[in-house]
Amino acid sequence: MLDAFWIVLLGMALVFGVLGLLLGAMILLNKLIRPREKD
Amino acid sequence: MDIAAGEFLGFLNLNWQLATMLVVGGVLIYLGIAKDVEPVLLIPIGTGILLANIPLGGLVDEGGIFAILRQAGIDTELFPLLIFVGIGAMIDFGPFLERPYTVLLGAAAQFGIFGTFFLVYLLGDGWLHILDFSLRDAASIGIIGSADGPTSIYVSTVLGSKYAAAIVVAAYSYMALVPIIQPPIMRLLTTKEERSVRMPVKATAVSQRTKIIFPIVTVLIVGLIAPKATPLIGFLMFGNLLRECGVVERLSLAAQNELANITTILLGITVGGMMIASEFLKPETIIIFVMGIVAFALDTGAGVILGKIMYLASGRKINPLIGAAGISAFPMSARVVQREGLKADPQNHLLMHAAGANTAGQIASVVAGGAMLMLIPLFG
Repeated sequence: MLDAFWIVLLGMALVFGVLGLLLGAMILLNKLIRPREKD
Repeated sequence: MDIAAGEFLGFLNLNWQLATMLVVGGVLIYLGIAKDVEPVLLIPIGTGILLANIPLGGLVDEGGIFAILRQAGIDTELFPLLIFVGIGAMIDFGPFLERPYTVLLGAAAQFGIFGTFFLVYLLGDGWLHILDFSLRDAASIGIIGSADGPTSIYVSTVLGSKYAAAIVVAAYSYMALVPIIQPPIMRLLTTKEERSVRMPVKATAVSQRTKIIFPIVTVLIVGLIAPKATPLIGFLMFGNLLRECGVVERLSLAAQNELANITTILLGITVGGMMIASEFLKPETIIIFVMGIVAFALDTGAGVILGKIMYLASGRKINPLIGAAGISAFPMSARVVQREGLKADPQNHLLMHAAGANTAGQIASVVAGGAMLMLIPLFG
């Protein structure tokens, strides 16, 4: 039972961790690369 | 002639279980054709069920066509991965890239997967022992909350769940029911004032170069942290790279059309062929379908609750309804959010924000699937 609780906790932490990193990367990309005229 | 009629006449071998499955197959075909409920999937699945449950048909026996298709396309995880190439080529991540914060809503809405897993495990081997659900079965049932058929197939197959067929059918069926499942929960958790928050339709433009780099960066981040998600995210982003790179339009169109369509036919009929009476007609199947609704409801609730937190944190600028689109049922849940927003305020257009959360949910559900594949072997 405790195992399942840990899986829920670690699973959600992993999802937020990975997507948090992705968010950071996207913000950085948007700052570094500005749209050109043709975009 | 020393041959009994029962050895070659199918109807003499028909029992109530097989007859029930023939009816189930017929109902799915009817829903697909007459009610337009996910016809692209329900017609092949329904047909597969019909064919697999005709007595003496031999399609599911060793060497039969369904046994071959299952070994080649499901057990090897080939079909879900090929479908993902097509999905990746169809998805425009633009609304998400223009509003990167929506990725958090996609993450929150994966709680349905883990919450449902916990509940199912409670009913099974975890505590009550009422039903035959192991840790791996519970994780596979929880993954219905990914609202994503290919991810459900992939995870339940890799985890070796004996309920894979029922899980896949539940995942696909409930995607069609998103417009029925989500609105009551969205209304329950929000006030009219919150639902009426207007958000700007226009967002900061995103460079085409960003759209090209995005799939590569995503594969690297997801793959390096949650390597078990690499096949799914890799094929999804490969399809997206074909779409966005602008130099292989032919391949992009082939992925969106021919590849996706052919694989959908094969996947659908094979999944239907997995639903044979002896494996499908169990009390556990009913619980799996009930848990599917629970998973979708928890997804929606968690997304809306994070939306409410963002609403407060942003000084009431973010409409919490868009959190419901964090569920990856694309594009249905984004449309549901748009409709609910319009009900609260006829000038309130939330579609692009919801589409951002919706495409983020697609990535998040794959990460959640990878997390399950990573964690279950550690504890089970």
